Amino acid sequence: MDFRSLRSLDEVLAALAELGDAACVLAGGTDVMVQLGRGEIAPQTLVHIEHVGELSAISCNGHVRLGATATHSSIAESPAILNSYGSLAAAAASVGGWQTQSVGTIGGNIANASPAADLLPPLLVHGAVVSLSSASGSRTLSIDQLLTGRRSTACAADELIVAVDLEPVGARTADAFVKVGRRSAMEVSIVALAVRLTLDETMTTVTDARIALASCGPMAFRATEAEAALIGTTLDDDALRAAGAALGNRAQLIDDVRATAAYRRRLIPRVLGKAVAECRQTIVNRSESQT
Amino acid sequence: MMSVSLNINGRDRSVNVDGADTLLDVLREQVGLLGTKEGCVEGECGACTVLIDGAPVDSCIYAAAAAGGRQVTTIEGLARPGDYSPIQQAFIDGGGVQCGFCTPGFIVTLTALLRRNPDPSRDEINNALSGNICRCTGYSQIIEAALLVAAAATSTPTPAGAVAQ
Amino acid sequence: MTMVGDSIARSDAGAKVQGGAMYGVDHREVGMLHGAILRSPVAAGRIVSLDTSAAEALAGVYLVCSAADQPETMAGWVLKDQRLFATGNVRFEGEPIALVVAEDRATALAGVAAIALVIDELPGVDLETACSSEARVIHPDWQSYVPAGGEAADYPRRGNVAAEMRAEPAGVDEAFARAAQVIEDRFTTNRQYQAYLEPKAAVATYADGRYTIHTSVQHPYNVRERVAQLLGVRVSAVRVVGKTIGGGFGGKLDASVEPIAAFAAKLTGRPVKIRNTRTEDILTCPSRENAIVTMRTALDADGVMIARDVTVEMDNGAFSAEMPWLASLPLHILGAIYELAGPTRVISRLWYTNTAPTGAFRGVGGTYLYMALEQHTDHIANTLLVDRLQFRRAHLIHDGSASLSGQVLGDAGILAEGYDELERVAPWQQVLADLKPWQGVGIASGVWMTNPMPGQATVKMNEDGTVHVITGATENGSGALTMGVTQIVAHELGVNAANVYVTMPDTDVSGYDAGSQGSRTTHIVGRAALDAAIEVKRQLFDVAANLLEADPADLTIVDGRVSVVGSPAVSIDIADVANAALWTVGAVAATSSYTSPAIPFDAGCGSGVLFTTMSTPTYHVHMAVVEIDPVTGRVKIVRYVVIQEVGRAINPVGVRGQIQGAVTQGIGLALYESLRIGADCRYLERSLEAYRLPLALDIPEVEIVLMEHPDTNGPFGAKGVAEPAVVFAPAAIINAVSHALGRSITALPVTPEEVLSIIEEIEGEA
Ligand SMILES: Cc1cc2nc3c(=O)[nH]c(=O)nc-3n(C[C@H](O)[C@H](O)[C@H](O)COP(=O)(O)OP(=O)(O)OC[C@H]3O[C@@H](n4cnc5c(N)ncnc54)[C@H](O)[C@@H]3O)c2cc1C
Ligand code: FES
Ligand code: FES
Repeated sequence: MDFRSLRSLDEVLAALAELGDAACVLAGGTDVMVQLGRGEIAPQTLVHIEHVGELSAISCNGHVRLGATATHSSIAESPAILNSYGSLAAAAASVGGWQTQSVGTIGGNIANASPAADLLPPLLVHGAVVSLSSASGSRTLSIDQLLTGRRSTACAADELIVAVDLEPVGARTADAFVKVGRRSAMEVSIVALAVRLTLDETMTTVTDARIALASCGPMAFRATEAEAALIGTTLDDDALRAAGAALGNRAQLIDDVRATAAYRRRLIPRVLGKAVAECRQTIVNRSESQT
Repeated sequence: MMSVSLNINGRDRSVNVDGADTLLDVLREQVGLLGTKEGCVEGECGACTVLIDGAPVDSCIYAAAAAGGRQVTTIEGLARPGDYSPIQQAFIDGGGVQCGFCTPGFIVTLTALLRRNPDPSRDEINNALSGNICRCTGYSQIIEAALLVAAAATSTPTPAGAVAQ
Repeated sequence: MTMVGDSIARSDAGAKVQGGAMYGVDHREVGMLHGAILRSPVAAGRIVSLDTSAAEALAGVYLVCSAADQPETMAGWVLKDQRLFATGNVRFEGEPIALVVAEDRATALAGVAAIALVIDELPGVDLETACSSEARVIHPDWQSYVPAGGEAADYPRRGNVAAEMRAEPAGVDEAFARAAQVIEDRFTTNRQYQAYLEPKAAVATYADGRYTIHTSVQHPYNVRERVAQLLGVRVSAVRVVGKTIGGGFGGKLDASVEPIAAFAAKLTGRPVKIRNTRTEDILTCPSRENAIVTMRTALDADGVMIARDVTVEMDNGAFSAEMPWLASLPLHILGAIYELAGPTRVISRLWYTNTAPTGAFRGVGGTYLYMALEQHTDHIANTLLVDRLQFRRAHLIHDGSASLSGQVLGDAGILAEGYDELERVAPWQQVLADLKPWQGVGIASGVWMTNPMPGQATVKMNEDGTVHVITGATENGSGALTMGVTQIVAHELGVNAANVYVTMPDTDVSGYDAGSQGSRTTHIVGRAALDAAIEVKRQLFDVAANLLEADPADLTIVDGRVSVVGSPAVSIDIADVANAALWTVGAVAATSSYTSPAIPFDAGCGSGVLFTTMSTPTYHVHMAVVEIDPVTGRVKIVRYVVIQEVGRAINPVGVRGQIQGAVTQGIGLALYESLRIGADCRYLERSLEAYRLPLALDIPEVEIVLMEHPDTNGPFGAKGVAEPAVVFAPAAIINAVSHALGRSITALPVTPEEVLSIIEEIEGEA
């Protein structure tokens, strides 16, 4: 298998244009190398992008932008992410172990589009916009447009994910990430859920709610029905029950080696309740610390 | 096959690899460094942990070619034989080793942790070790070894001058 | 001076922390070829065709062989029911069918992929199916199989029943007939994979009619025997040389890749290495068996337990390894904690199934048998509205109680002492009062044993005053050799432990040993080494007495010098004594062997009782406090206490490591680990991603209290230490989960799924 370790974006895009389907982008390799080892993929050339310096930055000029090769470690430790996008930091800190996080990247997590990709629920609730480049141009897609199915995305063979932009977080808004696995770490999610909640000035009524789930269908998704069930409510039990039910209805659950569909069905409303409670608590805490 | 120049434990070394060859296989089969162990080849156990530019990486799922031009540190590169690093010594003294097959991976990961954070808490150690499996010890004596090194490091008086930085 | 009871560093730690220790998988020979095994992809079927021509045609392939090439011999640890390669039929997924040997591993693997195999698949027989008795007979030729010990050693078995043990004292049915109530439970347990971190590997060479195998196994003599049986040669034609073992826990007691590597070495004339991938290792490892336990207890109107009736159905897998012996275990466990006011009937059956052969895993079936017994005990106490601890204490066996095989347990009162110790460190009422919402506490206790099988050690004094201990015993990581035996010999000879070297096993050189199993090495090999050291000391004193012009009876060794008691100035370095001996009595060395004395038992206690008594019993009390996450059903261990009888702790740090490590494996079995058998009889968990081993984050620091009642036979009183903590952990944890939920738990492991469904049931009722 050929290997090209490239240093600039232009070189990468040129290589992808030249090789097309025969190329496989290699970032941290934590998915690619496992898939190669299992014989699931057999590309002709690995295009190694880890050393493309311009791709790895996390910047916050007005809004937060993550380069495609930002590693899970750097995301989990970034003050900008920790301050406003705690769910994303928590998701990144839950990917495998330290060894996985020190090389695994956000671009790889998105492009691999696993049904269990942990970064996707936080990216979905934060309205992430993905920038794609190829030798012939650039375009942007919202994260839900990018995801097209189980392990499939709208990213073309000659395209590279270069960056991810996050929607700014307004006042009285907080997020939470809940991941369920059997062990305390090193788990492919049984259920992973992110919530982003905004309360009105009285801190009682929900003005905006965003909910996204992974490991509950062929791909991670945002559950607008469940969101609608919360918006305008005071997060009373009925609202939570309705949201939980709507979330469960959207899920396409299966039995797999990690858990049964029945367990996932039981988990969904419970983790939703937990995440919503966490969001509300964070908003209250923040407002108290301001006053 | 392609030629890649690696810096392993401070020495430059060029190896001939296929793009898909793992760093673990190259270290063990070509370079002859057998201290890095293979437990799963899936990134699950951490027995194959090495440092790449100071960060712990599972060498079983890292392409050797990707390590070209970077500093690779294996268990053999942490100290001369018989001249133990503090964390190695703490493992020896405190029962951190049983069968020892996981040990190189644990030592490498903890070396990275202690370099970054000379005084980690038990929780920080546990978290840092979530990618390392030990089937023998039940972890306690490993964690204590790390705490012992941390305590020794922090109780050493700071050299004059270092404070100003 | 390093002495017994000190926590000296283990002698192999330095190499291990620096990556210098060489394990089985690290061994290599000049000119070595690599083998890869074609394994059955299905659990059951008939081999219709096997076309290896494409593999043979590959550049770099040296050999392809299969059943057609193998010797006409049968092999097995207890029963000879095995061949080198699947012959005609396949009986479990992973069974070896063919071998490809090539110049490198990649080519060998490519060769395996190139083999065209057609199997006419049959529906697999699993444990439930086997028990239903309608099942297809997996070994139609079972009657022709001969026990390894010869025809005379045969035992009750028939069709799919690979072994049966029945102990049926009179009066059980009568007691149930007059019972006021009957408490009944049915427990199931899944398989547990040893998951040692080093997958199996071996390198074999062949020369001058003899095979040499470098491998990291727990029982080299057993592997030697299996290789000899499978290849149809006498045992002395095989030499097994031990390498550092990357964990075993029972999974490396029997041969695996060694016989096939040896066979290939002969056919190619080159050294051949075979190593398992992790998946191959999971598929073929002799895991702890799955089982079904039904337990009924008859209570009279006063709540007195007047009889018990227990049936244990154990999964043997497709071939018999060590399991026929272990089919007797329920008899010992079920009589070994509580006294009943009436008889106990125990029937255990071992079933052939279309799954990987099962085997010993640290603590063997004790894990789930104690879980069943202790959960059943909680069930009885709760039914009678009696405090669980009080109920236990009221029924504990005591000094002189007899087990169900009629063995008198002279020191069983240690159990009550264990409960006293528990009360001291964790006062029961306090523990109960301190429980927070969603927390529960569980207790488990009982007896465990020290494997009595024989071992030999040679102690050899070097001319420089250092000591070699030559033994076929193995250091599986427990420290039994690199701490235990090392310290015992150092202590006896008055030398520094750093000057004692225990050699690696080599069946050509070192004396027989029955392997690192059953917590036996420190006790058995330590005793053999101690006896040899005593003789070495006697030889040294004889020589030194001449040199010092003293009476041998007045001599002592301190810090490596022989001196006269009371006049330390009159002394001589033992190196000088050892040198002097060369020219007089000869080199100073001695060999000794030890096996635990036979224990009287009641031969009429039952039929098929292949192992009859519990040697060197030890007593244990465990307590677990757990907390349940009501959102996910996950269980966290909040507190874990072990009260353990050890005889004498030769090395306290080492003992602690054994207990902490064993509890961790018990937590694994209770909460995380299971090799589930799917509808097609194939494992669902096939990698370390799916098979979840506990991580540092999942494990509490275990609180340990050691009890020391020195054993009269053990070296410095030592008894077996390594296994017992795994035996009781699942029971204590399951009882705690059951307490937290107020419901019986009947399956190992207890999964978050099950816990959450119980929580929803409870919420539904509320
Ligand atoms: C032990 C282990 C544990 C894991 N645990 C988790 C977990 O808990 N949660 C989780 O979500 N994932 C987990 N993963 C999966 C994996 O680590 C993550 O998906 C990671 O983010 C992938 O990033 P990478 O840089 O390693 O990707 P790579 O393996 O390099 O690439 C993954 C895929 O993305 C493509 N790709 C990479 N970068 C780009 C780009 N910039 N543009 C276009 N395509 C690109 C590649 O071609 C490939 O198809 C685990 C993996 C391992 C080995
Ligand atoms: S061998 Fe690399 S993580 Fe297990
Ligand atoms: S010491 Fe054996 S796996 Fe850790």
